[in-house]
Amino acid sequence: MTRFTLTPPLIALILAVILFFAGGLINPDFVNPAQATNIVRLAAFLGIIAAGQTLVILSGGEGIDLSIGAVVTMGAILTFRLTGGDNSLIWVGLLASCGAGVVIGLINGIGIALLRIPPLVMTLGMTGVVQGTILVLTQGEMIGATPPLMRQLIAEPLILGIPGVIFIWAMVGIGMWVLLERTTYGKQLFAIGVNRTVARFSGVRVQWIVVLTYILSGLLAGFGGFILLGFAQTVFLQLGNNYLFPSIAAVVVGGTLLSGGKGSYWGTMSGALVLTLIDSLLRAAGLEQAYQLIVFGVILLALIVVYGRQRSLRQ
Amino acid sequence: MNTIRLQRFFSRQSYVISLILLIVVVAVNYSFQNNLFELRIINNNLRTMMPLMILAVGQAIVVIGGGVDLSVGTMVSMINTLLVTWITPESTGGEIALAFALVCGIGILGGALNGFAVAFLRLQPIVTTYATSFIFSGIALLVLPRPGGSLPRDLVTFYRSTPLDLPLGLYVIGVLILFWIVLRSTRYAQYLFAIGSSSDAAYATGVPVRSVRVTTYVWSGLFAALAGIALTLSTGSGQANIGDDMTLNSVVAVVLGGIALRGGGGNAIGAVIGVIILGVIRNIIFFAEVPTWSQTLVNALVILAALAAPGVIRLIRRLIQR
Amino acid sequence: MGSSPPNRLPDSWAACKTMALTLSARSLVKRYGGVIALRDGSLEIQSGEVVALVGANGSGKSTLSKIITGAVVPNGGHLLLDGTPIQFPNPQAARKRGIAVVYQELSLIPDMTVAENIWLSHEPLRFGIAVNRGAMRDRTQALLDLFAGTISPKLQPDTPVTALPPDERQVVEIVKAISSDPRLIILDEATASLDTNQVNRLFELVKTWKEAGKAVIIITHRMEEIFRVADKATVLRSGESVGTVTIANTDEKTIVGMMIEGAVTPEQIRIPTTALESHVRLDVKRLNGGRLRNVSFTLHDGELLGLGGLQGQGQVDLLLALFGLIPHSGEVILNGKSVHFRHPADAMKQQVAYVPGDRGTEGLLFIRSIFENMQLPSWRKYGIVHRRHAARKDALASAADLQMVYASLDDPVSSLSGGNAQKVVIGKWLLRQPKLLLLGDPTKGVDVGAKGEFYALLRQLTEAGTAILFYSSDDSELLGLCSRVLVFHEGGIRTELSGENLTRANLVAASMGTAHEHD
Repeated sequence: MTRFTLTPPLIALILAVILFFAGGLINPDFVNPAQATNIVRLAAFLGIIAAGQTLVILSGGEGIDLSIGAVVTMGAILTFRLTGGDNSLIWVGLLASCGAGVVIGLINGIGIALLRIPPLVMTLGMTGVVQGTILVLTQGEMIGATPPLMRQLIAEPLILGIPGVIFIWAMVGIGMWVLLERTTYGKQLFAIGVNRTVARFSGVRVQWIVVLTYILSGLLAGFGGFILLGFAQTVFLQLGNNYLFPSIAAVVVGGTLLSGGKGSYWGTMSGALVLTLIDSLLRAAGLEQAYQLIVFGVILLALIVVYGRQRSLRQ
Repeated sequence: MNTIRLQRFFSRQSYVISLILLIVVVAVNYSFQNNLFELRIINNNLRTMMPLMILAVGQAIVVIGGGVDLSVGTMVSMINTLLVTWITPESTGGEIALAFALVCGIGILGGALNGFAVAFLRLQPIVTTYATSFIFSGIALLVLPRPGGSLPRDLVTFYRSTPLDLPLGLYVIGVLILFWIVLRSTRYAQYLFAIGSSSDAAYATGVPVRSVRVTTYVWSGLFAALAGIALTLSTGSGQANIGDDMTLNSVVAVVLGGIALRGGGGNAIGAVIGVIILGVIRNIIFFAEVPTWSQTLVNALVILAALAAPGVIRLIRRLIQR
Repeated sequence: MGSSPPNRLPDSWAACKTMALTLSARSLVKRYGGVIALRDGSLEIQSGEVVALVGANGSGKSTLSKIITGAVVPNGGHLLLDGTPIQFPNPQAARKRGIAVVYQELSLIPDMTVAENIWLSHEPLRFGIAVNRGAMRDRTQALLDLFAGTISPKLQPDTPVTALPPDERQVVEIVKAISSDPRLIILDEATASLDTNQVNRLFELVKTWKEAGKAVIIITHRMEEIFRVADKATVLRSGESVGTVTIANTDEKTIVGMMIEGAVTPEQIRIPTTALESHVRLDVKRLNGGRLRNVSFTLHDGELLGLGGLQGQGQVDLLLALFGLIPHSGEVILNGKSVHFRHPADAMKQQVAYVPGDRGTEGLLFIRSIFENMQLPSWRKYGIVHRRHAARKDALASAADLQMVYASLDDPVSSLSGGNAQKVVIGKWLLRQPKLLLLGDPTKGVDVGAKGEFYALLRQLTEAGTAILFYSSDDSELLGLCSRVLVFHEGGIRTELSGENLTRANLVAASMGTAHEHD
């Protein structure tokens, strides 16, 4: 029944394992369980933040969410400020960061689905709005603190020496799998990603699915910001920006078609691992940041060449 | 008959709405800043806008051809670091000219790399140019790990000069407009618009789709190099991430200039207008004494409103027709 | 400009006669996957000749013409141009050798003007680089003047193509094809979207082209047009050239005979007319929208009501309106209740289903699995978290019912043959057990065997009481299956044929709108 095929997510996962052991060649200290755990921990943040990006890219129509970097920052800052380091207020931070994400996602969705603004432009414009809102809210002062419980639950070893964020990531992974493979939303999302006319002719309310997708992307990015705070402990204006383009890259490396309609979150998870490993490896190799950037760019280009081909003009 | 004329006019002169917007924002700016039209002020304003103006024209060509180039900002950074490394305060005119020529060549090469990947390897423009932006960024950091460098005095003075009592920026705008008029008159421009509008129909009609697509990125590479030269003359020093933010601004300017991101329409002069609008909005926010911490938000909201305006109009029209 | 008389040709090619040409296609073969589109395509034409390429839908005439224009590369056979074998790698190569085609699916760049489109890639130049817009405009005007009097003043060299209605875009297509002064012009259903005046003008032009020594291949659904302009007709049937006749020595009957002789006709399974006493499923009154003009009719449970007429006369618009896909006005009474659907989801709730004719763009998600395609309209009924096994069981049962041939339900639809792919489109709606089934030319591009199975399925469905509205571009299907056919013409129902009146002659006459109506 099931046939074994080398799917892009599997290639990415195998690549991750190879990269990990290749790290041992560069630096023998690289290969050990603690390092492996650390890499998965780092990948988890990227993976959670890239979850929403996966949905948006799957929705097709040149879908992309450039606002998630700013939303991550927003989520972290809101939690930082509203909890003020108080464990009992963590739920307020969680609600606020997710709620902010939902609102931003809703605006994105309305602009894209109803006003037909290209996703690239809409989410880019929203990035500025979110950053501006952050400045107005904070007046440039990062007041607040991280509740100690968040650090314990997210960044520090929780069970068997495994940090909580890895469990959270696993739960996000299961949730995303159920969402994509076992719900009507998921199936309709793939449908609008492949062909919106066919989807509409089959009774799918396309615009509603698009709006919902950007809402989910905002929600997950806000949640990602909340989680990231438990690790970073501190907030600054550029906190989430470093996750924006890697989130897109993780989706692509995981074999999800940029044109939409085909892909998986487990591919994105593998992609997040690969990107984090490459990053760690380049650091472990003691390369200057300049070479790290160049190598990263070349690898990314190579991966797109492998997965990202568009159809040819000739039949 | 008149409606056709009008339709025809707007389809070709897509920047007319941008021009109206420009007049509005300039008027608002003038109400806050009465010396706006003084030569010195115009010169200052245009000087800061010039690098993005040049960059946006290159971006406009790519967008009209149906693509987008997210590597232009880092390419500006790379050019900047190369220039401050090659040119020292003691450089002769010949050396400077050579450096300028070399960076133009490098810009063309970088653009050709993007173009090859997009047109011949058939990769998605967004991620491809995003990937190459890392390469350019890395090279910039490699060339100039720490900010620094300085240029010959004369070169910096020239950039601030007002030949024949007109700001240098006006000459640059003139050259950009002339460039576009000449380009628009060629068969190449027909191909450019055709592949941006419908590459399938263009292919069926015998347009060399792939080669034309490559050249759009070559143009944007060349214009990134020229923008890099302008930016270097403007700042007089180098920094490895100096131009990175310009990428997204160039895209916004293109959209504000009435060039549809789906490709196949628009006018590169619109992109120049878009840049001026962006700059003037920033001016207004400064002179309107918007509280410091609200400036970014106000600026972003104004830009978002401008981007959303056509969609809102279309939606209202659709609702009325129902 | 505009002073030259309408029928004068541009100077460039009125003066000198076109270089002579002979073209012969011999036993051309084209396969798509497992399906043979063209088995034995043969055709002879030379300068000064107008040859009609005739055949029923799916007989291979469009494949044959695409091979001649270089859009399709054949799997076998020979193409001889001026006596030497040739194979065109792409349409440009064919155009360079003087072969131009007027596409049915438009090849115009929407954002460019009429003149820019016509001269794209062979613009008149000044100093070798600058496009000579003045000359381009003048020459375009001269070409457009060929159609003067039949086109609106809106159609000018500088009008953007997006601003034009379909018929005038078709005129631009025609003008674009002749702008390169070809030796052979192929008109592939070029008259389909033109109005009567434009068609008349086009045929006058065809005569002048013929006199100027050009060769013309014309592909059309309208028999009358063949007798008006063609010298010869080459008839295709099921992918084979079955013969060429000289128009002067033949009649409509002979050609129709060649087209349908021996072909499988579904005459045997005409569905009985007893349904008419049953419950009224659908009552439509004065429906407008899209191309529709005051359409009224009723449909009973268990009835298979045919929609006939030439393509694009409003049949598809009727189905789209009933399924909530296009805005419409008028009264639609479904199962005794007045309804107004704004989205297919509304229609689906009332057990309406629509099977579109174009599988590629409207029916199937090619890269997704058979399973997902079949369940796309129905997922909701399997719970918030889907009961996957139940969904799978239903899909398997439906696939078995339809005798679908496939390896695994998880294979992408793109791996299926045309007939089996069409079964997926039908299967996905049958899973919802619709009470009203709208069929939009469902057998287009489906092979004969699969068609037979499909006819049997229709019979089954009507016996089970499903009301079916059946549009087909294949007249023999309507004649063979339906007991009642509404013939559409220009958005309205021209006539209703049933019982003894439901004959091919009456159907053709009503479709063409030329002959008398029969009561």
